[in-house]
Amino acid sequence: MSITQISVFVESKPGHMGRVLGAFADNAINVHGFSASDTGEYGIVRFVVDDTQRAEEVLKGMGAAVRKAKVLCVKLDDSVGQLQKAMEALAGAQLNISYCYSLASTYIAISVKDIPAAEEALRAAGMAVVDDDDLAGFMVGETM
Amino acid sequence: MGTPMPTPDKIDFSKLPIYKPEVECASRERIRAIQLAKLIQQVEYTYARVPWYREKMDAMGVSPSDIKTLDDVRLLPFTDKAALRETFPFGMFATSLDEIVELHSSSGTTGKPIVVGYTKDDMDVWSECIARLAQMAGVTASDRVQMAFGYGMFTGGFGLHYGIQRIGGTMIPAGAGNTERHIQMIEDYGTTVLIATPSYAMHICEVGERVGFDWASSTLQVGLFGGEPCPPGLKAEIESRMHITCTDNYGLTEVMGPGVSGECLAHRDQQHIAEDHFLWEVVDPDTGEPVPDGEMGELVLTPLDKKGIPVLRYRTHDLTRVVTDKCACGRTMARMQKVRSRCDDMLIIRGTNVFPSQVEDVISDIELLAPHYHIVVDNETGLDRMTVEVEIKPEAFSDSYEEMKGFSNEVRDKLRSVLLVTPVVKLVEPGGLTRTMGKAKHVDDLRK
Repeated sequence: MSITQISVFVESKPGHMGRVLGAFADNAINVHGFSASDTGEYGIVRFVVDDTQRAEEVLKGMGAAVRKAKVLCVKLDDSVGQLQKAMEALAGAQLNISYCYSLASTYIAISVKDIPAAEEALRAAGMAVVDDDDLAGFMVGETM
Repeated sequence: MGTPMPTPDKIDFSKLPIYKPEVECASRERIRAIQLAKLIQQVEYTYARVPWYREKMDAMGVSPSDIKTLDDVRLLPFTDKAALRETFPFGMFATSLDEIVELHSSSGTTGKPIVVGYTKDDMDVWSECIARLAQMAGVTASDRVQMAFGYGMFTGGFGLHYGIQRIGGTMIPAGAGNTERHIQMIEDYGTTVLIATPSYAMHICEVGERVGFDWASSTLQVGLFGGEPCPPGLKAEIESRMHITCTDNYGLTEVMGPGVSGECLAHRDQQHIAEDHFLWEVVDPDTGEPVPDGEMGELVLTPLDKKGIPVLRYRTHDLTRVVTDKCACGRTMARMQKVRSRCDDMLIIRGTNVFPSQVEDVISDIELLAPHYHIVVDNETGLDRMTVEVEIKPEAFSDSYEEMKGFSNEVRDKLRSVLLVTPVVKLVEPGGLTRTMGKAKHVDDLRK
């Protein structure tokens, strides 16, 4: 079980991220979560949106460099220690996290090489892992 | 053009037009005889009418009567751009302005502009040179030819315009800019030939693809390129994506403009020099002495019948080699290797000579990069630093910094192995490097 994120290659220059977000807004694409970091020259900006396919079409239409990828999505209870619990479940299964970021509400997106193994580790720890459809249902009205 | 252009590897040259076969296919002896007769006349004309040359030749102890063979051209003084600047605007003109029917000026990429004037006869020679190179690409009276050069003072626009009209083609003078309108006009008017800089043609191609224009089924068949050197990788990319055949020509404002030489489809990396109008020499750029036959050196040109501004032995600063064997297209006019480098665009980076064309070659061999680049050289940290900005294709993008870093290191290593200098490679998003309608500016040297 996983969700789909969409990543975009963005140069570290004023207005470049705004161009991507503007295109989302113009096409009524809702951003549920994102993570942005850079190397000083360019960045990989990762998005979880309500309509990944549409987002991909829009970005490709702009000529942007875009990739879709599967990531794990975990729902955390809004209480102390939950994030630690998720991390420890993965560490306990010897699974390394490439990157992770939080979405609106208490969902976090986690990139690991072995998604099924990570999912199993989290479920064993009693945590809820969701897919695209689940997320779409839960996220109605939740916007970054 | 009527029938679709065959792909260059299956071309039947007996079916392609040759504008002036009696000259373009003449024997080498005949070509040299034409050149000698014209050279003698041209030196007399220039000496008699242009004080700048008279003073130079007098100081060197050379008189027009000393010119008895083609090799005697070496007795004459060289001319460089500085001479045209010092005498700006009309000091080098050999006729009164009354006889001049058109003025043009150079685009000034390497300094102050210079101005040149053409008599009616000069315009006639110029259009004929263009007509020849257009026919090398198969262009005929039935073509509809869309201009994407700017008109104005730049020689490219009007030069090509008159030449196409000379062969009876239909000129569509759209001019530079407004890319969507260009695509609309290709569709509306059934344009068969596009005249553009290669980098602007690529831009038209990309914009067309983005708006869903189907290049494969469009009427466009030929691209006539000029205004900037055309890297082979870029040309191949345009040919396959726009489904057209492209040639490019060579020329410079100081000796005429476009049309000094043009590419036939038999040797895609060479161009036939209009030898009945231009005497060529290839010299060592440092000594000015001729290099052995067929070797690389600086191209020196003497226009043989230019009346407005006669120019003797113009130092082009362009590096090339020239061969004179008969071409598969049937022409006997000498072929110069396409100019990829100028003596003055060589960069010296930490003591190593680097030509932008080397960068171009490496970039065009990397599948995942678009054929565009920009070089910045600085010495902010005290040492020379060369940064090469390259544009990734969407397929090159991966969702991992590690992989992207690996890719940019791979580009850096390929550049290093050719340049012998380690550049900093900067990845730029697709479409992120500027496409130009005029000459592409590939290098910014910010060293202090």
